[in-house]
Parts: sequence; C-alpha cells; structure tokens
Amino acid sequence: MLKRISALASAIQFTGRGLNIFEAPDFRLTQYAGAEKELKRALGKIPARAGVVLEHEGQTQLRINPTQIWLVGEPVKDDACISTSLSSSRTRLALEGDNARAVLAKLAAIDFHPKQFKAGSFAQTGIHHTPVLIHCTDENTFHIYAMRTFAMSVWNAVTDAALEFSA
Amino acid sequence: MTAFKRINKPSHIDRSKPISFQFDGKTISGFAGDTLASALLASGKTLLGRSFKYHRPRGIIGAGVEEPNALFTTGVGGRTEPNTISTTAELKSGLTAKSQNAWPSLNFDVMAVTQLLSPIFGAGFYYKTFMGPLKKSWMMYEPVIRKAAGLGAAVADVDTARYEMRHMFCDVLVIGSGPAGLAAAVTAARSGSRVVLVEQDFEFGGSILSSGNEELERWRKAQISELEKSTEVRLLKRTTAQGIYDGNLVVLSHSPENHPALMITEQLRASNIIYATGAIERPLVFANNDRPGVMLASALRTYLNRFSVAPQKRAVIVTNNDSAYATAFDLAENDTAVTVAEHRSTLSGDLLARAAQLGIAIFPSCGIADVLGEKQMRAVRLSGRHAVTIECDVLGMSGGWSPAVHLTSHGGIKPKYDEKIAAFVPGGFARSHFGAGAINGTFGLLASIREGDTAARAALPDSKKLKDLDLPSIREDRKYSIQPIWSAAEKANEKYAFVDFQNDVTVKDIKAAHQEGYLSVEHLKRYTTLGMGTDQGKTSNINALAMMADLRGLPIHKAGTTTFRPPYSPMTVGAIAARTVSSQFRPKRLSPLHDWHVKNGATFIEAGLWMRAWYYVWAGNTPETAYIKEMELVRQNVGIADVSTLGKIDVQGPDAAEFLNRIYVNGFAKLPIGRARYGVMLNDDGVVLDDGTTSRISDTQFYMTTTTAQAGEVMSWLEYLLQMHWTDLNVYVTSLTDEWGGVAVSGPNARRALQFAFPDAELSNEALPYMGVKDIEFEGVAVRILRLSFSGELAYEVHCCADYTTSLWEHILKAAEPLGIKPYGLEALASLRIEKGHVAGADLDHRNTLDDLGLGKMAGKEKNYIGKALRFREDCQAPERWSLVGIECMEEGAKLRGGAILFAATDEIRGHGRGYITSVTWSTELNKYIALALYNGGLKHEGEDIICAFPLKNENVKARIVSPHFIDKQGERLHA
Repeated sequence: MLKRISALASAIQFTGRGLNIFEAPDFRLTQYAGAEKELKRALGKIPARAGVVLEHEGQTQLRINPTQIWLVGEPVKDDACISTSLSSSRTRLALEGDNARAVLAKLAAIDFHPKQFKAGSFAQTGIHHTPVLIHCTDENTFHIYAMRTFAMSVWNAVTDAALEFSA
Repeated sequence: MTAFKRINKPSHIDRSKPISFQFDGKTISGFAGDTLASALLASGKTLLGRSFKYHRPRGIIGAGVEEPNALFTTGVGGRTEPNTISTTAELKSGLTAKSQNAWPSLNFDVMAVTQLLSPIFGAGFYYKTFMGPLKKSWMMYEPVIRKAAGLGAAVADVDTARYEMRHMFCDVLVIGSGPAGLAAAVTAARSGSRVVLVEQDFEFGGSILSSGNEELERWRKAQISELEKSTEVRLLKRTTAQGIYDGNLVVLSHSPENHPALMITEQLRASNIIYATGAIERPLVFANNDRPGVMLASALRTYLNRFSVAPQKRAVIVTNNDSAYATAFDLAENDTAVTVAEHRSTLSGDLLARAAQLGIAIFPSCGIADVLGEKQMRAVRLSGRHAVTIECDVLGMSGGWSPAVHLTSHGGIKPKYDEKIAAFVPGGFARSHFGAGAINGTFGLLASIREGDTAARAALPDSKKLKDLDLPSIREDRKYSIQPIWSAAEKANEKYAFVDFQNDVTVKDIKAAHQEGYLSVEHLKRYTTLGMGTDQGKTSNINALAMMADLRGLPIHKAGTTTFRPPYSPMTVGAIAARTVSSQFRPKRLSPLHDWHVKNGATFIEAGLWMRAWYYVWAGNTPETAYIKEMELVRQNVGIADVSTLGKIDVQGPDAAEFLNRIYVNGFAKLPIGRARYGVMLNDDGVVLDDGTTSRISDTQFYMTTTTAQAGEVMSWLEYLLQMHWTDLNVYVTSLTDEWGGVAVSGPNARRALQFAFPDAELSNEALPYMGVKDIEFEGVAVRILRLSFSGELAYEVHCCADYTTSLWEHILKAAEPLGIKPYGLEALASLRIEKGHVAGADLDHRNTLDDLGLGKMAGKEKNYIGKALRFREDCQAPERWSLVGIECMEEGAKLRGGAILFAATDEIRGHGRGYITSVTWSTELNKYIALALYNGGLKHEGEDIICAFPLKNENVKARIVSPHFIDKQGERLHA
C-alpha cells in the first residue's frame, strides 16, 4: 500500500509559552475556477468576493481571487466549473496560542492585530520569500498553507521566529 | 583634580544599584540609570578619545545621539561593536568599552604628532597629494592613511548576536517622548486608537529628564502611567525611528530587554505620524572648542539633573541665546560658580535678575577667544572687550537649537530656514504627518505640550469629545531669543576652530573649500568630509552651511542643506539582515523525495533554490567517478531519477487547445488525448523562452511540463497572457509543480522495471508508444505514466501526487530490484541529455532563436504563435549567429571545460572567440569528452577543427565541431 508522507514528516512540534506550532495534515484542498455563475453552480453558496472566507456545511471556502476558490474539505463532484486537486501541493502548519500573532508579525507584512485579522480572515502573502496563505480559524489559531516544496523552509522560519516564546 | 564629580542630588540614577564596567582595561563603577558617558564623567574621566585626523585629545561634547567624539568600541569577540555612542549607551553590568584611534594609550598617543602637520593636512589634502607619482599610487597610500585615521574598526569574527525583524501597524505613531510626544501619545491613546510611542533613550521624557523640575517629573510620570494602562498603546523605549519611507512605512531599530534578540528591526506602517523629535543644540565655533571639558550647555544640564554629575567648582557658559541660562542657573543652584560669556549686548531683565540672585557673572558682547589646556581644559580667554582669562573646569556652549528635521526630510520635503529661531524647520508635512514641539521651532515647554495635543487631535477623525490634556503647573514659557553666531573664531585661530568635531573640519577648511570652488553644500560635504561619519553632522551641518552662505554672500535658505538620508543614527548591519543569515539566508526548495535521498546517500547540489540529488554513494564518493557509473547504469540497464523539480502546469478550459497552439511554435490544437508532444515557446521578441512536453488528458485538459529553471517564469507568462491579452479565452492555469512528484525510469530495461512495478498496467510499445501518456490507479493513488525520454534511452516518467511520490519511488525500486535498478542523480541526468543533444538551461542564454538551436523546422508555417513576427527579424536570421553545435575532444588525456572559449584552428587565441561551451560531459558511449556549444555560424562548420581555450587554467584543447546528437541519431532506443 502506498504511504502518504508529509513534507514535514521530520518536523517536531513546537510547544512554548502561549504558543504551539504543529503540522495540521490530512486535509483535502481543491481549487475551483470559473466565472461567478459557474462557481455558484458547482459550489452553491460561495464567498461574496475575493479575500473572503465562507464556512459552509463543514467546509471552508477561501476565495483567492474573483475566479478561483479553494475548498478545504471533501471536494464536490460537479463539472460546472474547473477543478484541480491541490491537496499535496500545500502543507498546512498550525499556530495556536496567545503569542501566535506576535510570531506571525515577524514573518509577514500583514496586520495581525485581533481587530484587523479576526477569526475567519485570510491573507495571501509571503513567508521567507515563498507564497503562503494564512487563515485565522479561531481567535488565536492560524493555518498557514505553505507550498509543499518550501514547507520545511517555512517551518524553520516559523519556529525560529517563535524562539522568544520557547518554554 | 578631576573636572566632574557625582553630587548628592536626586536624579534618575538608582544609587541602590551600582554597576561595574571596564574602560580601557580598568574597572569603573556607575549606577543603574547612567549612560556610559555619565558614569565616565562621574568617575573623573574627561579625556576619552582622539580625533579622526589630527589625533587631538577629545572628551564628551553632548549627552545624546548627537555626540561626535565620545565613541567607543564595546564588547569582545564576535560581539564587538565599534563606534558605540557613549552618551546614549545604557550602562550595563559587565560592559566593556575601549577608546578608539589612540596608540599606545589615550594619554600618550603617538599619532598626536600629526597635529604638528595640521597646517598642511587641510581639506582636500589627500586628494591633491596622494594621487601620484604613479597611476595606482593611491592603492599604496590608502592602507597607511586608513590606519592613521579613522574611528573604531570592525572585527572579522562572526557576530554571534541574534537580530530579528517584525512588521507592525498602528493608527498613530509618535516619534519622541519629550513634552510634545507624551502629550500627543496621551491624547491619541484616549481615543482608543492604536498608538506607538517610540523613544531612542532608555527613559521616556526627553528634555524633561534633564530639567530637574519636580512638577515636570510628576507630569511625565502621570502621562506614562496613563499610557501604560492603555491596552492599545505600545511603548517602545530604546527605539530609534531610522527612516521614513513611502506609504508611511517607518523603520525602527529597537533594542529589547529580556529577549533573545539584541536588536529588532521593526517595519511599522502607521496611518498617522507625529514627529516630536525635538531639537539638537549647536556648538559655537571658536579656537580650541574641541578641548576635553568643552561641552554643549544642555549636556551639562543633563549630566547635572539626570545623572547627578556636576563640574568640580567652576563653569563658564558661552551663549548667543536664552536657553543656556537654564544650565547656568541649575549649575549655580548646585554650588557651581558660573560665569556667562554672552555674545549679545542686551539681555532680558528676568534673566539678569535671576543671575544676580545666584551670583552669576555675565560678560555681555563677548565670546570665547581661546580655550587653554590640552587634555583637559583649565581656563578660557574671553574675546571682545572683556578679554580676561577665567579658570574653569568646564565650558558649556550654546549656539542655538536645530530642530531634528531629519525624518521629515526623508520623504523629499526639504527643510526651510526660519529667521526667528535661526534654524531650519520642516518645509512642510506630508498628508497624515504632523509635527509638534521643538521640531517646529517651538521651544517653550507648555507650547510644546499643547502642540502635541493639537497634532494628535488633527490626526484623529473625531477628537472633539476627547478629554482635555492635563498641563503641568509651571510658569508660562519665556519667549526664545537668539542672535545667530556662526563663527566666533579669530582669523589667526581658524585652523583650531572646529566645526565638525568628528571629521576634524575647521573654519579654515570651509574657507579653503570656498576658495577652491566647492560652493554647493553638497560639494562642501564631499570635499571636507563635513557631515559624514557616524553622527552625520548633527552638531556641525547648520554652522557649516551658514558659514558657506556667508562666504558666498547668500542668505542661508539659498545655500540650503545637504540631503538627509536614513538611518538617523548608526545601525548595525546585522539588524538590517535580521534572520536572513546562515541557513535562513534564502529558502530551500525540497523535492518530495528529499528525505529519501538524504537517507540513501545522495550528495546534494543547489540548482536555483532547489536542493537536488547530485549523485549517490552507491556509484562513488566523488562526482567525477559517480556520474559515469550512473550513466552506464542507464545506458546498459535501468536507473531511476527524481524529476519532481520539473515545472508542471494544469491547463484547463474549453479553449485550452487553442491557448497552447498560440503559446508553442508547433501545433497543439490537434494533439490526441493520451499523447504528449515536445513544444518550444518563444517570448514575444522571438527568443526562446522554454521547452517541455505537454500531454492531453481530455478535450479540455492538458498537463504541461516546463524546465525546472523556467517553471515560475512560464507560469507567470501564461497568466499574464490570459489576463491581459486573451481575456476571450476560457482557460485556467494552475501550477502543479508542488502537487505532483515525478520519477524518470530510464534505460533498456525501463519497461520491464515498470511492468514489475505495475503488473496490471498495459505498457507494451503498442499500448504505450513513445510520447504516449497513460493514467492508471495504483493502490488507490492516481498515477500518470508518460513515455518521454531525456536520456535518449527507452524511458518513462511516472508522476503522482507529491505526498505519495516517495512511497511510489520505493515501490518501483523494490519491484525492479531483480533487474538491478538504482537511482541516478542530476549530474548523470544532465550528462545523458548532452549525449542525446537535448538542450537545457545551461545552453539557453535567453538570446537563442529557434534556428540557433536547430529547431526552426518545428515551427508551424501557417499558424500564429507568440514570437512569430519578431523571430524573422533580419538579425535573428543572420547566418553568422551563435548556434548550437556538438564538440568532440580530439586530444587524448585532455578535458573540455564548460565556458571554454572557442576559436577556429587557425585563429589567434585572443578576445571573445567564435563561441563558447555551454555543457560538457564525459561520454561513456564515445569514451571521450563531448560538449554542446554555441558557435558562430553553427553547423555550417561541422567537421572543422577548433581550439577550446580555457585561459583560467591556461589550457588550449584541440576539438572538432560535430552534430549535437552524439548517440542514437535515428531514435531507435526511444522507440524500442
């Protein structure tokens, strides 16, 4: 049986003061592309505009641009729009804890203040010169979708930035 | 007898916390709250350095960031930091400081002999003297001059400190925490806005800290207390705003406490910026004004009130403005005998009355003619009608105040001259920028507080409802009065009257620059070095440009200022690099198989950001031997290689075929499902962009591969075309480079190997011919088998999603183990393709046309494609273009080298030659070195003998031009 192996298989969870950093694996990520009406036909309810998240029936939709949506969860089977599986292309890191925002501030030029980057927000930005998507899933919990081939570099950058919160 | 003493006066030092530190090898004590400078003064040290050029004895001049002289080398080993400003350096236990630019000691500095030569060492001396007699003479003189002059030296040891970078945001940034800054921050904070208050000092308060006024101290603490209670306020001490950039980006350098980083560089994006940066006192310019003990008047006041450090007995104050009287009065109240040399002829009554009360003697209409004493001043001789000599421990000078307009000027707004205060103030503020306090030329304390409050209200959208700010209960501000004096030096002593203390620039030097035609202040700076160095002329610039204006007969505003550039104060380079060092210098891109390669003896090589398996230990311990074994494995049996780094792009949509047909020079519109095709794409200038294969998965879906090097560029190019030029095409492209991993299985036994691995798949030559593509499912995982060959052998690429690639690779290796399959690395992969004559990144120099590469016949004649029009430019069709050829080495035992310059056999070996080698390898098939090259005229010269010159190793090797297809020209192996 072929075995699924993560890009962060050798990474060790970081546990520090007010901060945990770990891989959040085993997710399904599918990209849907098409015009607004095609996206709606395929996915039903969709985020109102680019940059908006929709949590819907246990699935998360991240509208990454006007014509493309990332669906995190079971893919929908509908050929109304174009779909591309990206489950292997991204490795998902999770940061949680009171100090998660302080760590993120060292990594990306995004305003992570709780009033600005609330639960349900996401941003497409860069960490360590590589493209990432950062999704605030809860008050102080974040998912970073890093490119798989850069995942270890991103992991190293994130855990390095967390040094001041080491236990 | 020392010039200073620590007195028993309440101040900001904590006497319950003594601190020991080292200065020039001696242990000295100070207190928490001291700066290095205040602790040295308190311990009686006044001779603290030697000057840059003349090695004159120097002491402390200021009490802040403006200090030009009292710079030390602190720390040891990798933590050595030259030019630490002692007047801002917080005294810390264990601090080690060394004086600079003196040998063997500060007290006896051999190089002080240069003072005797100072008459000939004036401005421009080096430029005129050390240019000859030979053209490169300067190279000989330079090391000697650098050794003789200069500040602290950097060390070669690796800096062991950690530096970090962070990005922050706020509604209101207040720069400076003096009266105006505190007021602005408190008002802004009351609105609930996100406020950042930055202060370069290790205490908030600015000038209040030096005031010695209890009521002001109460007010200061109250404001800080309120700010500390505001949840949306960040208070940053030990933080300098170094530069202001577009979009209200402010770069801060912050030295945190109790943090693993020594310094944090913060990129702060502020919606509003309030500058409360204060002002810097100017020195007066007179003979020997650089002697230890001559200081800024405000600095004397700071040392007295903030650090309880007072002159031993007597002080003279020389001034042209009212502000110096605060120092005179405070010193007198603390038992120092004070005399004032006043440049002005009249003085307001309140100052005269107070001076009389305190027994201060004031000499009007006079300045300082000379300072007596060398390593420590001992007296001054007054100029003017009171030409008396007065013994004193210190001389405090005040030439007025220069608002700190550096930051407001960073955005390009030039400062403007304000006659009333004889100083430059900001020439204006950008939108959402505000100024408050001394930066505006507002020197009154209450007025500054009010301006801070007003600036904050202006920055906030709805500030009327905010509570009024509490004001300290102090007397209303006095009116500021000044009579500008730019040079008070007598003509005979101009060579000893220093304008720039850090660079040893005197009044005489400025006059020399003027005489020699360096009239612009920017030229003055370059010619004399005035305003350069670590202090960037904070105390010298205005005096100098005013003198130049005077010499030119211009008003000061016409002479202008030099350009203010970041950083405001010296920053260590490590703080700019932050964590972008060592292993984090740049990201590493890892194949899905990376961990397997590590565990199985691969040696890696960097290919762009990728870490690629170069060769494997099974084949040898050096690349020179290992790749040959790996090549032999592929040519004779079967090998497996990681090709996951290839660019992979999903092209989908009803118009996908049409899109590809326009992208590639050759036709893709009719590519059958289940087939792959090699394609070449051009830039719109007709030059080759990339090549690769694209497979048709369905009517509307294609799977494109690109070269590893060009993957990102091709993806951007496709997106650009779809979004900007062909918006009518219904096509979407998505990078799959990370989604899919790939392995190449190559060699005569490749089919057998895959049949072992996928026994249920039909892989015969009929079922999967050359350039065929087949999708199968293996153990629940989608696998794509593409019959492609880079090596020229029977070969396949097997792709699957990256998470399963390692497992798939291991499965193939295990299944085909009976055949003797083994991995081969990048060196062998690249060498095999040279034998086959396939071009790759090394051969494509972004100047090649299709015809240069021998691919012109591929292009469709009827169809349109990107680059078609410009491909046929006359120059692109020129017969003597550098075109692809093969090269065979004709000299036994000799080696061809990449980059070798090619000459015809009869050419003189000189110049750029007729071409160069782009790729080279040992051919296991031909038993000789072979190469691909670009050669003038290309294969027209097939069969001709050439010389491959490699001047770096003084090699000239005989070779011959041949076809670039060294093996299997008919392609029988591919189709086997």
